[in-house]
Amino acid sequence: MSLSWAWLFLLLATFPWLLGVDLLSDAMAASGVCLFVSGAAIIAPCRRLRRWQAVLFSACVGFLFESLRPIPDGSLALLLVFVAIYLTSHRDEIRDMPKMFGAAVVVNALGCSAWFIAAGLAHTADVPLLSLHFLGQWLLHLLLATILAVLLLVPLTLVQNFAMDRVGVPQPDEAV
Amino acid sequence: MDNNRQGAKASYVALVFFIGLWLILPSAVRRFNREAFAEFQAPALHLVGKGRDLARYWELKSRSPEELAAASRDLARINAALELKLHSLDDARKENIRLREMLRYPQSTEFVTVVARVSIRETSSWWQRIVIRKGRSDGIRPGCPVVFGDRVIGRVSTVHLTTSEVDLVTSPGFRCTAFLEGDDQYHVVHVSGRAGLSLSAPRAVVSIIPLEYNPPAGQIAKVMTTGLGGVFPSGLTLGTLEAGVQSTAEKHMQTGALTPAKELNFIQEVSVLIPKYPTAGEILLTPAGKPEEFR
Repeated sequence: MSLSWAWLFLLLATFPWLLGVDLLSDAMAASGVCLFVSGAAIIAPCRRLRRWQAVLFSACVGFLFESLRPIPDGSLALLLVFVAIYLTSHRDEIRDMPKMFGAAVVVNALGCSAWFIAAGLAHTADVPLLSLHFLGQWLLHLLLATILAVLLLVPLTLVQNFAMDRVGVPQPDEAV
Repeated sequence: MDNNRQGAKASYVALVFFIGLWLILPSAVRRFNREAFAEFQAPALHLVGKGRDLARYWELKSRSPEELAAASRDLARINAALELKLHSLDDARKENIRLREMLRYPQSTEFVTVVARVSIRETSSWWQRIVIRKGRSDGIRPGCPVVFGDRVIGRVSTVHLTTSEVDLVTSPGFRCTAFLEGDDQYHVVHVSGRAGLSLSAPRAVVSIIPLEYNPPAGQIAKVMTTGLGGVFPSGLTLGTLEAGVQSTAEKHMQTGALTPAKELNFIQEVSVLIPKYPTAGEILLTPAGKPEEFR
């Protein structure tokens, strides 16, 4: 199997998790919160994939989240691409599990803020950006994104590592 | 390591260049990109919806024959009553057509109904929407009204090949004109969705209520569609006006909150009303010489 398609196989392995989180959001629809885990989903691939593959993977994860929601195009995907470039050039920052947890929390919170603010900019007439209402909603979504990143990182990483092993992606120590 | 960092610098430059390009790209490219990713997810959404249907099927199958017999008997009675009603409505329809012809009154919008199952619900502070398992291939067009019985659920916002996204009544993108029950002068009020508070029930806002309007005593005022604009048929229930209507800051109108007619977050099936003929808005937005899109 060609290594250049590893990012696509990894995306197919990750997609059920993204869909699962969407279904969780669906089950909690009455509460009006949107659960988000796309940021945490790019951590394990950034340890092992080559930079261009990690960039493609992150862009696809971002666009998948944006495609069914009224979020300005590219606001999340381009942020995840930036994070992927950063992480693939600083692989020592996601070398062990505690560091991965930290990175997952930060990236998921960043991604959540990106889509929340980008979507909120369209409603500044109803809800001013510097209002308690906005800050409260933002903090609630951030809190949920953080909790979800911590809870789902381990199973997500296990599945992604399994998929990368099957495709023949080099181990983190050998990654360029 | 140096090579790695150098490569990262080049990647950042490429990203900045791409962001610039992304901003100036024609919107058709961005729309195509969004459409491609939505289509990628469509089979999974169908699978999820069908899985739910299967679970419901097995749940129903586990019911006792006595329960099913009772339900069947009740349905038969309801059917008989509805058949009578249908017959009287048919007479009224024919008379209506005859009177319209006599007065040369314009025909009201006719709709084709497409029933669709809900695939997934999406809610956040900034949107309340559902994805349904019918799309462009079933004739659904953006802007089509979505109802359940005589209750308005929302409006189709985006259409994909086999799925569609529906903005619910409480979603900030939703706008509609309405009449209030108990208003003898039929003032037109405005209903719009509002960016909601998480962990609380979503609400819409009813605005430009005249100061002299008083809700009917002892009962909840219904909010109904006007039929103006040709998007929604008239007389559909949007919801009920909550108590506590307040004057605006300028003291010349009132605003109130609307409770949706149906529990929107638990709905499993909806009907999409597709206008038989293009609406005025669609005609304006259609490029000249492409009326065949509506056939």
